[in-house]
Amino acid sequence: MFGKTYSTKTAEIEKKWTVIDAQGLVVGRLASIIAMRLRGKHKPSFTPHMDDGDHVIVINAEKVVFTGRKRENKIYYHYTGFQGGIKERTARFILEGRFPERVVEKAVERMLPRGPLGRKQLGNLRVYAGSEHPHAAQQPVALDVGPMNPKNVYNPKNTTATKAA
Amino acid sequence: MARVKRGVTSHAKHKKTLDAAKGFYGRRKNTIRTAKAAVDRSMQYATRDRRAKKRTIRALWIQRLNAAVREMGLTYSRFIFGLAEAGIEIDRKVLSDLAIREPEAFKAIVEAAKAALPAAPAAATA
Repeated sequence: MFGKTYSTKTAEIEKKWTVIDAQGLVVGRLASIIAMRLRGKHKPSFTPHMDDGDHVIVINAEKVVFTGRKRENKIYYHYTGFQGGIKERTARFILEGRFPERVVEKAVERMLPRGPLGRKQLGNLRVYAGSEHPHAAQQPVALDVGPMNPKNVYNPKNTTATKAA
Repeated sequence: MARVKRGVTSHAKHKKTLDAAKGFYGRRKNTIRTAKAAVDRSMQYATRDRRAKKRTIRALWIQRLNAAVREMGLTYSRFIFGLAEAGIEIDRKVLSDLAIREPEAFKAIVEAAKAALPAAPAAATA
């Protein structure tokens, strides 16, 4: 019975579907929970080289919050390829733009390992700005992130900015 | 006495090296000069990694145990502390195997560890 350390086989992988309502949640804390589930690190049978994580659907991604002054001050850089072509956008600009879901996507992408497996696992993430998602057929199970930790939901009283004032 | 030519031995040596270089990248699998260096180095890696394997596998058991006990509202650190307090001496390898194959038995162990903990702080997050 106790032989080799268990290693998940392709046939044994059971990929579940989870849906998370991101309304009012703190971006980084949310992303870390999503990244953990995409990788499968929440399972006792976690196998690092296999794609045995879950599918994660995020709804209301436009309603995530940043703590402190990050909504105004956090800057996303991207490079066009031309000399001097480094561009920047603030978190607020993206959240109020055409694709507000990119804030959550980017945060999760940066928390996953960079490599073929990480890219594959990122493909199991589906983020929607609104409260609708087209995956009802997969019967996703709701995961309530808010009550897991009091800091997951933004509470202005906890910020250092207010304390200092 | 028969004359010994050197080609036979060196060919045999080269074949041995090239066979060990099967699957290597680029010229490393075809050319004896690069293959020899690559095989020598690969042996060094193999020796080092047979020792490192013990550490990475133990780290994997711990990651799995952490996932398993968090489902039951404990963290790995509290769990191990609880086990020590309860006097349970099952190692991490067997524990992680139990968590996968015998969830019931594992649950009983976690409960025992939980019971042995002194007044618990706030519950763990998943």
